[in-house]
Amino acid sequence: MTKFCLEIDSVDKAFPGVKALNKASFKLKKGSIHALLGENGAGKSTLIKIITGIHKQDGGKLLIDNVEKTLNTPNDATRFGISVVHQERNLIRRFSVGENLMLNNLPRTTLGLVDYQEIALQSKKWLEIMDLDIDPSTIVSELTVAKMQLCEIAKALSLRSQILLLDEPTSSLSPQESDNLFLLLKKIVRDEGVSIVFVSHKLEEVFNICDEVTVLRDGKNACTSESIKNLDRKKLVKLMIGRDEQIVKSKRKTDGTDKTILELKNVNTDLGHKNISFELKKAEIIGLYGLVGAGRTELAKCLIGLEKINSGEVIISGTAITIDSPRSALEKYKIGYISEDRKKEGLILIHNVIDNASITVWSQIKKILGFVTNDMISSRVNPYIEQLEVKTPSIYQLISNLSGGNQQKVSVAKWLAAGTDILIIDEPTVGIDIKTKAYLHKLIIELAEGGTSIILISSDMPEMISLADRILVMKDFKLNGIVKNDHKYDTVSANIMEYIHD
Amino acid sequence: MNKKIPNFVFTNQFGLLCLVVTFILIFSTVTDGFTSRFNIFALSRVVAIDIMIGLAMMVVILTGGLNLALGAIGVCAAMFGGWCMETMGIPVIPSIFLILGMGSFLGWVNGMITVKTGVHSFIVTLATMSIYFGLMTMLTEAEAFRRLPETFTEFGSMKLFKKYISPLLLLSLATCGALFYLFKYTDIGRKLIAAGANPDAAELSGISVNTMFIYCHVLSGFLAAMAAIMLTTRIGAAIPSMAGQLGMDWLLPAFLAPVIGGTLLSGGKLSVFGTMLGAVLVTLITNGLYLIDVGEFWIRFFLGIILLIAVLLDKTREFFTLKSVIVS
Repeated sequence: MTKFCLEIDSVDKAFPGVKALNKASFKLKKGSIHALLGENGAGKSTLIKIITGIHKQDGGKLLIDNVEKTLNTPNDATRFGISVVHQERNLIRRFSVGENLMLNNLPRTTLGLVDYQEIALQSKKWLEIMDLDIDPSTIVSELTVAKMQLCEIAKALSLRSQILLLDEPTSSLSPQESDNLFLLLKKIVRDEGVSIVFVSHKLEEVFNICDEVTVLRDGKNACTSESIKNLDRKKLVKLMIGRDEQIVKSKRKTDGTDKTILELKNVNTDLGHKNISFELKKAEIIGLYGLVGAGRTELAKCLIGLEKINSGEVIISGTAITIDSPRSALEKYKIGYISEDRKKEGLILIHNVIDNASITVWSQIKKILGFVTNDMISSRVNPYIEQLEVKTPSIYQLISNLSGGNQQKVSVAKWLAAGTDILIIDEPTVGIDIKTKAYLHKLIIELAEGGTSIILISSDMPEMISLADRILVMKDFKLNGIVKNDHKYDTVSANIMEYIHD
Repeated sequence: MNKKIPNFVFTNQFGLLCLVVTFILIFSTVTDGFTSRFNIFALSRVVAIDIMIGLAMMVVILTGGLNLALGAIGVCAAMFGGWCMETMGIPVIPSIFLILGMGSFLGWVNGMITVKTGVHSFIVTLATMSIYFGLMTMLTEAEAFRRLPETFTEFGSMKLFKKYISPLLLLSLATCGALFYLFKYTDIGRKLIAAGANPDAAELSGISVNTMFIYCHVLSGFLAAMAAIMLTTRIGAAIPSMAGQLGMDWLLPAFLAPVIGGTLLSGGKLSVFGTMLGAVLVTLITNGLYLIDVGEFWIRFFLGIILLIAVLLDKTREFFTLKSVIVS
């Protein structure tokens, strides 16, 4: 008999107005890596919350090592050896690596004080398992994102976890860092006997490291604990979205004769950018590619006036200008920025859909004495909400009640409504499901066809290559090179990587 | 529920309204003088000022901040007005504008310091409270202005509606109306709310968050000066101790009204109507308890308890606003 360390049997869960899970099941084999897939809203997060004791299921069973268990609190889950590594970092940034690792079980001296030598000693062991060559006394905030991720896994291991849940672990990692992570995951599965539930939107990763796959669609199983050998990418996508994937290809031809809209000449910034020069033509999509920390988002923030440009020239339609605030970027120069961090910088979570979608246009539609009504606003913004097919019961629904994909659509809608000439789009599809992702890709191409010039920041190489006309490769706050994109993945990606490892 | 007004019965304001009615019923049965013409008139004058003070705090809480210098600004504005009218002999109407200007200016100073230094307004206004009050005491040598023009002081004792209601209350209600209009029907009002709710997102969406925050502080100073004018006409003089030491007597009602009324302490959500009801509730309870003849200290005790309960409500409100429905 195969040994299952975790079994979910016909679990139901309902929230007011939605049935989040409807008889969802899967079985996790001991010592395997099991992919849990599904679009946003398919019920993955709910299932994870049930496994980690945050929510309690309405019906169905949860078995750990073939024994039925009830998890009332996250502590119960930890006791039964289940740990989750979240998308959001759960380390305390001002504490040292060692303190973070040992936080739940700090060793003490005979006087009852924290024993730092012992912390160093014990945490070293777990760091070594994760091939992390760092001093346990290093402060967490000094680490790279990738290393923080590994520390979190080390922390989970230190809690003697037998089951690890990884929720989109690679969303902020570079390809190399991801590969490194996968090697380590395979190693801990082999050496430590850990089993892993792996949640990701990137199917390449699933095929790379997973043994079995469970797909959820609308809270139900589209497939249950299927061996990866019986599946291919096409089948998997079909299981997830219920139909075949439509791959978006840009058919636009830019011959480089279009008018230059924006030009940067030897720009140096407060944040440390050195000699950045490039041109953006009308209706062109240029991509900014680079590793996390290359300074792409930071460059965008300097461009819209949130941070200072120290020297060099920014030229818009032939005139050298200074942009001193996002407000003048929007109102004077029609430049918009769609943030990568939609919860912190993109949306106002405690406000409703219409207020979020219209925030950029209030100044434009106001009448005498600043008079604005909901009707005036919705007649201006509703077309965009409808065009983007934002799924919401009402435009007066709180934005925090919408799914991630729909939230992203609203943060795009507000910039469409603003009618910008230049749009900087930062990581538009991180954490977004395949269907919405394809939709957003199509939208970006349509926008460019409509005459908007776009600067696309993305760490998703396939996305970059299918959308951009030219790709600017950044590294360490410098522009390393520009790659002309002919949409042929192999050659273009090789060219990009060359500039990155220059 | 597209475009439908959310069912009023389930709102926080409706609950408040019920509480107000309940307390009116209780006090009018338990006490003798509660419904007397004299008491209702007195009540309407106090309520008017408490509403204004509550609104003054509300517009800063909107930014996620506080204005501890509220009372100090009020007293400074009132004393400045006393000086204008009594010492300088400036007519009443221009003096009123000067008082409002002074309140707005002191609010602007708070706003500028908060925005330029990035220090939380709690600390900034704690400091300016002391500075403003100290300066005022020095300049006036703690002398009151008691010979104000009669046209000015008469307004405070004027009685309308069969001598039941003070015109001060109408002034406060009109101010509520104006603020409601500001926040509901103007682009500036919406921007103020957006800036308070999520400054980063608002800034990136082309709103000058700093300017908005300064506006809020200016508005707060303006409303504090309004309250000060009303208090001065009521007592017929501008007295340095009219709002207690450092103007701190105003702080409890100032917090109570908006927090009870459903203004989120973390900013970005407010209710003008709720703040008004909150002020009414607080005044009612204070007045009723006085009539029952409980001691001054007990009243403070009760108000403290009410503030704590209101803050707890604020926490649950925040929780339910953001986390209740997890439709992912």
